[in-house]
Amino acid sequence: MPRVKRGFKARRRHNRILKLAKGYRGSHSRLFRSAKEAVEKALCYAFRDRRAKKRAFRRLWIIRINAAARLHGLTYSRFVNGLDKAGILLDRRVLAELAIHDPSAFGAVVQVARTAL
Amino acid sequence: MKTPFTSTKAAIADRKWFVVDLEDVSLGRAASKIAHVLRGKHKASFTPHLDDGDFIIAINVGKIKLTGNKADDKKYYRHTGHPGGLKFKTAGQILTQDSDRLLRLAVKGMLPSGPLGRAQLKKLKSFDGGAHPHAAQQPIALDLSTVLATST
Repeated sequence: MPRVKRGFKARRRHNRILKLAKGYRGSHSRLFRSAKEAVEKALCYAFRDRRAKKRAFRRLWIIRINAAARLHGLTYSRFVNGLDKAGILLDRRVLAELAIHDPSAFGAVVQVARTAL
Repeated sequence: MKTPFTSTKAAIADRKWFVVDLEDVSLGRAASKIAHVLRGKHKASFTPHLDDGDFIIAINVGKIKLTGNKADDKKYYRHTGHPGGLKFKTAGQILTQDSDRLLRLAVKGMLPSGPLGRAQLKKLKSFDGGAHPHAAQQPIALDLSTVLATST
């Protein structure tokens, strides 16, 4: 049987981790042992925060829609209730986009929601 | 589609100045509405990490209302650092000595803590009487009862 050297595989494994740890502070980007811990934790945070991101944006859209709806004399809560009754299926992302870039269209949507209340 | 964020420059250029008259308005109610405007949550383009709220010039702060017995019973504590150095002033005392501080303390507690919150607090200019030196900014009168109104 041919002789197998361990160093080759180990170097590959270490370099893979160290590459992911680029830009980390101090030993976290230089020493394998602390880099490995940091990378594992970072990937956990990244997984969690890709999901949390969706909630964070929804919260932001709601704040923006609330501000825009209040300019037309409706609170967010009443506005969404009106949309529901009017059968309008625009989601919060689109509504927030309208509120910023096309206020008159947003005003028209609020008007429809108001009449449906 | 990406959620739009206003750029720093556009947000800063878009800030307006408002004058609010606090005569006979209760402290906390005024503070929560002022904080709302300073943060910019009344704008459809609200961006949480930018200082894109409007400026507030508060006048007649000395005539602000403290309901109930708060003028005598509400105490603001501080500690000098020496043994037995816990001192306090009542809300009424602060109102007569330094009304600006009373309003500022209340609003500060309603803003985010950190550099952004401190920058937002600086946009509040408060004056004990009815005069203010910010005519050059051409401020618009703002009725606080219309801020955060639940219906119109």
